Amino acid sequence: MLHLLKIEWLKLKNYRTFWILSALYLISIFGINYIVYRIQENIYNAKQAKGMAELVIGSRPYSFPTVWQMTSYVSSYLLFLPGLLLIISITNEYSYKTHRQNIIDGWSRKDFISVKLVLAVIVAFISMLMVFITALSFGYSSASSFDTENIFYLGYFFIQTLSYCMVALLFSILFKRGALAIGVFFLYSLVLENLIAKPISHYFNDAGRFFPLESTDTLIPLPVFESMQRQISAAPNYTVFLIVAIIYLVLYTFLSIKKFESDDL
Amino acid sequence: MPIITVDNIHKNYGPIQALKGVSFKVPEGSVFGILGPNGSGKTTLLGILLDVLKATSGSYQLFDEAPAKKHRQQIGTLLETPNFYHYLSAVQNLRINARIKGRDEKDIDRVLDIVDLTNRKHSKFSTYSLGMKQRLAVASCLLGNPSVLMFDEPTNGLDPVGIAETRELIKRLNKEGKTIIMASHLLDEVEKVCSHVAVLMKGTLITHGHVDEILVNEDIVELGTDNIDQLLSILQNFPASISVRKNDNHIEAIFASGEAQLGRINQYCFEKGVVLSHLRVRRKSLEAKFFELTKAN
Repeated sequence: MLHLLKIEWLKLKNYRTFWILSALYLISIFGINYIVYRIQENIYNAKQAKGMAELVIGSRPYSFPTVWQMTSYVSSYLLFLPGLLLIISITNEYSYKTHRQNIIDGWSRKDFISVKLVLAVIVAFISMLMVFITALSFGYSSASSFDTENIFYLGYFFIQTLSYCMVALLFSILFKRGALAIGVFFLYSLVLENLIAKPISHYFNDAGRFFPLESTDTLIPLPVFESMQRQISAAPNYTVFLIVAIIYLVLYTFLSIKKFESDDL
Repeated sequence: MPIITVDNIHKNYGPIQALKGVSFKVPEGSVFGILGPNGSGKTTLLGILLDVLKATSGSYQLFDEAPAKKHRQQIGTLLETPNFYHYLSAVQNLRINARIKGRDEKDIDRVLDIVDLTNRKHSKFSTYSLGMKQRLAVASCLLGNPSVLMFDEPTNGLDPVGIAETRELIKRLNKEGKTIIMASHLLDEVEKVCSHVAVLMKGTLITHGHVDEILVNEDIVELGTDNIDQLLSILQNFPASISVRKNDNHIEAIFASGEAQLGRINQYCFEKGVVLSHLRVRRKSLEAKFFELTKAN
């Protein structure tokens, strides 16, 4: 696998679009959290409302230990971006037909698809690292002392990012053309799934939460007004959702490999 | 040992049958031409042999074994258009090819030199002309000096010099003992380069075998002189010829394959008082043969 990854590195090393988007994405993780952090500071520091925020919301969401959950939750709004990275790294090969050339030159089809799957894991891992760094810096900025309680939310974030990446990968393999894969991925992750999942949740006892991306979104709820949220819908069973997320990941992997191995390239 | 064995391969694209039960063997050391017009299934066939397409039914073997990636690593291939990463240079692209093939990267400079791209080796692929792209694809085929090469329309997009050079290269590689499989719609190209030929037409293999057996069963001798009509009349009495006919401004005498002896013909004409200004033997052109074969089917 290391040998395959070195070749993947040669492909990506000079692929400028990939790196520009990656840099912007990582900066945006920090950026979007900074925006929310500023809002938090404004609310908590407002003179007229002195003490009110603590009373209603509780302690600052960006203070330890809720910062792990808060940063993961806020960062999850950017998850279409790592998906986009996966899509361009795959559909780029389709448009240059280099996926064919790789096979012709002597990769097995499994070599090609498995190195992309590993790329998804790497992207998810780096995303998690960035969230970790961001959470640390805002945690300390909120004048709270370091605490590893709730740090497992970073693990959930990793699973969630991986899910988005894998769905993106699957769409790339299915649709082959960059614009189409990007369009469908964005519409599905931002609109379509909610459009289908929400009514189903309404009529069938929260069943919509078990949709592919929704199930991982459920893992990381907003750490603010949680008691109010609980009045609207029951607290999810996290163990169940973790298992569901992993089942989906296995399914994406299986489908991607199956599709790429049986297709005419 | 046959380098490639193709056994009853069918390929359907939906309702369209691209290959209808193709079988043949490519012997070691041959230049094997797969000849057919556009859309006859040549590229589909090569695509299946290289695992980028899946056959609907049938099987094939590479190096007399069930096909695997290690076999493809030993074959230098140029399929259809050159496929490279546009944002990488020639050297960066070849480095990827070499790693996948498990070849030494030191070979990159050698192959770039063969195709005359050394002075542009650090330019991005996207800045290359069509001919340069094609030459880079040839360079990639030559990486690691493989014993088997597969070319699909190797002279596509090349200028006349490039075409001549590519043909010379193929002949030279064959002399070094390499087996070459080449798909082409250019009859003339196959005739000039190949030792064996398989003729494909609408997904059916019409015929295959040694070029000399398939393409030539008679020799045509072209003769020219000032007085064409006199030449025609004396040749009608020349013993060995099958038939004689007038064609524009020269005479064509047809002989059984290998029977045309130019010296004797020249001497005969001279003795009859005709001085020849033009005399050459021409194989029946592949084109003529090809039309003959395809019409029969």
